[in-house]
Amino acid sequence: MSFSVVGKDIKKVDGIAKAKGVARYIGDIEFPGMLYAKILRSPHPHAKVLSVDISEAEKLDGVHAIVTPEHQPKTRYNMAGFPPNAEEFPLIEDQLILTDHPMYVGDPICAVAADTEEIAENACKLIKVEYEILPHVIFAEDAMKEDAPKLREEGNVMFEAPIKFGDIDAAFAESALIVKESYSTQKVYQATIEPTSGCVAMWDDSGKLTVYSPTQMPHLARKIIGTALDMRLGDIRLIKPHVGGGFGARLGLVIEPLTALLAKHAGRPVKLIYTREEAMAFSEHRHPCKMDMELGFTKEGRITGMRFTNIVEGGAYATHTPSIAGIVGPWAFGMYKMQAVDYLGKAVLTNSMYNGAYRGYGNPQASWAIENTMDIAAEKLGIDDLEIRKINGFGDDDIWPWSQLPVESSGLNECIDKGAESIGWHEKRGKKLGTSTKPRGIGMAVSCHVSGAKPGLLEISGAYVKINEDGTANLIIGNADIGQGSTTALAQICAEELGVKFEDIIVETDAVDTNYTLFDIGSHASRQMNSGGNVVAKAAREAKGKMLEEAAVMLDVKAGDLDAKDGIIFVKDNPTKSLTYGEVSFEAHFKPEGTQIFGTSSENPEGNPPVYAAQFAEVEVDTETGVVSVIKFVAAHDTGVVINPLNTTGQIDGGAHHGIGFALTEESVVNPETGLLENRDLANYKILTAMDMPEVVSIAVETPAKTSSHGQKSVGESGLIATAPAISNAVYNAIGVRITDLPITPDKVLAALAKK
Amino acid sequence: MMKKLNFVVNNRKYSIEVDPRKTLLDVLREDLKLTGTKKGCGSGECGACTVVIDGQNVNSCMVFALDMEGKEVITIEGLAPKSGEIHPIQQAFVDHGAIQCGFCSPGMIMSTSAILEKHEKPTEEQIREGISGNLCRCTGYVKIVDAIQSLAENK
Ligand code: FES
Ligand code: FES
Repeated sequence: MSFSVVGKDIKKVDGIAKAKGVARYIGDIEFPGMLYAKILRSPHPHAKVLSVDISEAEKLDGVHAIVTPEHQPKTRYNMAGFPPNAEEFPLIEDQLILTDHPMYVGDPICAVAADTEEIAENACKLIKVEYEILPHVIFAEDAMKEDAPKLREEGNVMFEAPIKFGDIDAAFAESALIVKESYSTQKVYQATIEPTSGCVAMWDDSGKLTVYSPTQMPHLARKIIGTALDMRLGDIRLIKPHVGGGFGARLGLVIEPLTALLAKHAGRPVKLIYTREEAMAFSEHRHPCKMDMELGFTKEGRITGMRFTNIVEGGAYATHTPSIAGIVGPWAFGMYKMQAVDYLGKAVLTNSMYNGAYRGYGNPQASWAIENTMDIAAEKLGIDDLEIRKINGFGDDDIWPWSQLPVESSGLNECIDKGAESIGWHEKRGKKLGTSTKPRGIGMAVSCHVSGAKPGLLEISGAYVKINEDGTANLIIGNADIGQGSTTALAQICAEELGVKFEDIIVETDAVDTNYTLFDIGSHASRQMNSGGNVVAKAAREAKGKMLEEAAVMLDVKAGDLDAKDGIIFVKDNPTKSLTYGEVSFEAHFKPEGTQIFGTSSENPEGNPPVYAAQFAEVEVDTETGVVSVIKFVAAHDTGVVINPLNTTGQIDGGAHHGIGFALTEESVVNPETGLLENRDLANYKILTAMDMPEVVSIAVETPAKTSSHGQKSVGESGLIATAPAISNAVYNAIGVRITDLPITPDKVLAALAKK
Repeated sequence: MMKKLNFVVNNRKYSIEVDPRKTLLDVLREDLKLTGTKKGCGSGECGACTVVIDGQNVNSCMVFALDMEGKEVITIEGLAPKSGEIHPIQQAFVDHGAIQCGFCSPGMIMSTSAILEKHEKPTEEQIREGISGNLCRCTGYVKIVDAIQSLAENK
């Protein structure tokens, strides 16, 4: 199929605004009379507030409002952005806007709105809070002990997710090899360069609330704000400005209800912007997991079954933790065929800042366990690493166990072959590479990911296409573009389906407004290309159909005889007989009894085609210092039909950056005594700089999906997932030792080498 | 309290009263309303606030505004010769897909301008070093390096 706009390197619609510095982010939004807010947070990981005295703070010049737990609605909420069908795991609503029973260092107790941030901060210092300190527990293993402080009546394990199918004992009894290994992954930080988060809120005289929020999910964020503030949703208008990166950090609320509460009490617009330190210490990071995996194999290398337990450290509130505990297992058995599975995920409450969504959503943890295990098995069975992945992968006609929906098409084998070729697998693997003190190795790992959340979550997207009287078209979508370029790609789909030039589509990436866009569950689960693409294509087709009908009357032919391309509607058999989109739309508007032509669509997508990927790393290990350097990184992804090549490879490149950091340098360290994050700045939390990044080669393999509008799959998260195990497998290849707890730091490498 | 500051920003002379405790970044954003320069940390770690001062790329969050007395500052808003125009560096970033969320972009582009001042035809090494103070979480720097290399080639 040949397309005229889809598949082209169209520049991002907001690229120039961003390049010129005129794109407005939350910190840039100002209103007359605006006040600035600061939060007074608990200095204790677990305590009871005995009293709050705001009398001195109130006297400070320039203070306009102080809110305490007394000022808030009593409805509890869960800040994670889930639609209401989240049946497979409980949506535990355990949060209040402010608390008198802080559960972590940083739990908000009070907040102040003042003329300046400095005054607000000084006022916070004048608030006197008396605490009764309660015993606390920071790590999940400790929280699961008998004598651990009980953080809630029912115990610290807030949710257990057992998933079983087949007969695991029988499967293991038949196995020629069972590989058993323990793995752990660390807490890591999304590190959006625009600190997460900020908010501007204001009320009008009729009690309506407007919230500017840099969220990944405008409609679901509005819904949770409604719950937290006990309000009618229709009275809340949420507007998403430009967003400086998401990666899961904005998958729900951060600080919106508190900003709105302050604005209500102050009677003025209020702006609350987190400092980098607050963003690091008091926003959600990725869940650390402790995993035990047993994987059985036939002597030919077929997987027989998997036993897998996983302890997920949640932090102080439920948010995403039950869902993560439930999903890590399916990520692992979604990768390979197996007849029997016995998985148990446990979601554990502790007294640290809670963890949440981060690119991959449990899949990087699952991939770490299963892809190291596959490497071990391949060696023990004497089977090539590429081969063992191929023989266990799913085929086009299989039902994908993650979703219970068809695989549709699998490009896994092609990803493996193309990646292998690019890294030089066949020339290098099995050879001694590097020098005796700086041996090199190559390794690989594969992954699967989703093109959406279906069927775990309801997945409505909505699009509205209106044809203006000059033939240009507005595409109005509630999709949250947070930099990935989804809006540009969706506009390409719109132009393709309307049969107009890309420049004739008017679309905004900022100012996504819940008052004017159709419901959409947001940008997560890599879902916009599949779910968003589906509704944009349908809305555009509807509008185009009406345009052709209008033109048919004007040209005195049948609508079925017509088509459109580049903004020209023409008779298929006689293309010189034609009208422009502008001529037809003008006639539609202004003929007697005229009407504007538009198309709409709001629905769930039909499928959820999995995205397969193969990642390859060449590493060098300095055996004197223990430092691991990635020399080259190759990522081959089955993206389905590519809508926008630059955006697609850009997602993979960025995912690799996160993944290499996850593998080697990134770790959020929480102090078990104080409960506070130790490395609260970007000097001590090491994300890779341009000097640290290796050469990255991103390859798109275009195996068309069957159910998406143009055969596309999604690519927002897949770049990260198999990165760390690919590096680990390369390290093993170089030095013959395997580090099973992330990150692979020099001290762990040296210790492992000393034991060898 | 307030002190007088005379300096040039984007070729325009300013003579303003500033709070002596304020950084250049805060004065640009709050007093001059030049919000193109971003704040990603406020402590010299991310480079989002990069501006060019007398030909050097500098983290504007790390200098006091008062130290700018008599100096010439160029921010992202002043890079293109005229409003409504786009500078070749900005165009190259757009064309190569070097911009995703765009929050690092103003700083990254200002660092690029300093690199191209310093080196006629920068090598990849010099490019990577030149932007090593600018963190980007979206692109893996891949397309940013491509964009800068394209400028070096076209010189
Ligand atoms: S804001 Fe200045 S270096 Fe980050
Ligand atoms: S483009 Fe998002 S941080 Fe660089």
